[in-house]
Amino acid sequence: MADIKGYNMPDDLYYHKDHAWARVDGTKVTVGMTDFFQKEAGDIVFIDLPDTEDEVSQGEVCGKIQSRKWIGKLVAPVSGEITETNEDLEEDTSLINSDPYGKGWILVIEASNLDEELKNLMRGDALVAFIEAEVKRAEDEKAKAK
Amino acid sequence: MNRVPSSVRRDPCAVHRFQTMTYWRLFRNTSRSVSTAEGLAVDDTLPQSVANHGSPPILHLYTFVPSVIVGKYQDIESALKLDRCKARGIEYNRRSTGGGTVIMGPEIIALGLGINVDWPGLERGGVGGVFESLSRVFIRALDALGIPSQFQPKNDIQVSGKKIAGLSAAAETGKSLLFHTSFLVDFDVELMTDIMNTPLVKLSDKGYNCFSQRMTTVREELGRRVPLTSVMDAIQEGFEAEFEIRFQEDEPDSWEKETIQAFIRDRYTKPEWIFSHKHPRSRMGVGRIKTRGGLLEVYLSLSGGSIENVVITGDFFSTTQDVNRLENALKWASAREESISQKISEVWRDEMIYGVDVPTLTRAILLAKENQVRL
Repeated sequence: MADIKGYNMPDDLYYHKDHAWARVDGTKVTVGMTDFFQKEAGDIVFIDLPDTEDEVSQGEVCGKIQSRKWIGKLVAPVSGEITETNEDLEEDTSLINSDPYGKGWILVIEASNLDEELKNLMRGDALVAFIEAEVKRAEDEKAKAK
Repeated sequence: MNRVPSSVRRDPCAVHRFQTMTYWRLFRNTSRSVSTAEGLAVDDTLPQSVANHGSPPILHLYTFVPSVIVGKYQDIESALKLDRCKARGIEYNRRSTGGGTVIMGPEIIALGLGINVDWPGLERGGVGGVFESLSRVFIRALDALGIPSQFQPKNDIQVSGKKIAGLSAAAETGKSLLFHTSFLVDFDVELMTDIMNTPLVKLSDKGYNCFSQRMTTVREELGRRVPLTSVMDAIQEGFEAEFEIRFQEDEPDSWEKETIQAFIRDRYTKPEWIFSHKHPRSRMGVGRIKTRGGLLEVYLSLSGGSIENVVITGDFFSTTQDVNRLENALKWASAREESISQKISEVWRDEMIYGVDVPTLTRAILLAKENQVRL
């Protein structure tokens, strides 16, 4: 079930509604942006990352991502302390486009309330419904405009 | 439900008319050109007001004093010759939206729009839809002035392959968005070459007249002076036709005035904002190779790992339109070989540049990248 409406959404990840993904390894959570996001945003040209040791809350805007046409937000999918950021993105932000779940990872959070907060993230059927709704919303807007 | 502007509230008939039509608010300033701090602070207030203050979309039409404005994540010290700006009394500042450097002034219309990203009149949901819908507004406006134009994805409105308006946008509060554009009614090329550091300026130093091949203005296209108010009227009418709305002239209310003052005080007069170091590293390089079609020269400016600007020149045969199409396709693309080759291939057709093919052009760009130096 990695493909939803043409978007690659791996089964083993958790997803936030603002298009961040979370890979959980114990209390260590690696975060990036989804294939859906990178396709909508287009070429990513800059990422304004938070500092390591910053504390973030679930749903908090912790960075900005600039594509050639707009500046979007990076939202923390879980609460905790940022322990690592991907330095390779400083030289090559296109990794978010070319490998969103691999080399395009953005940061790592040492989660502080993981069990509770994972319940607020999506996977499985809820994720399928969410992506389908997002795609339908875009199609509806297009139909209205015609 | 539309929020009733103070100018309408006193007349019950006007209130009824207002409530049965879709009105947007219009802040139109033709009485004076404003400072960069004031203009940008008003613009930043627009999406805040739409998201947090119950306002319908707001259009802000105005002009700046002679000035130059960089994008949110640009390196201002690499993009501009700050000593020349100071010597000539040109204001400089940093906007909250993305994109590159723009020269502003009393003959260039500045436009700020605060709008909900899910507004039903948009071509499709999301930020891409804003660009598509708004590009059509400007095409309508130019058409009304007698200038046929096209949208050149993703950021420009062009007339015969030359840029006449540039678009940029930033996601702001919640789902509301600030959209910026500059509309060239008239333009001072000499000023641009004196205060900006771009590959085009490097070429101008060598005597090439690159600007006239890449940019145009309303005045140049029509061959006469056009009052700014006429161009603003055309833009307003373009919005009204495209979104099936009417504008209600208004001014910022007290909440908005306070927000504007806060942005002036806390952002647009602060050196920490103007000289922000949150930006990719800027570099520039030149690549020259001899081809079957003649000398091919590529001037490249890089922003981190992305192409900020590329100028393709030399003594080969091609058209302005084709060269501009290639340059545009490469703008803000990743500077990796496969990405460069892919972007060129997307717009390439046979004989686009006589005697040059996709691998050769890719090689020239990679050579410019190899020769890059820090600005």
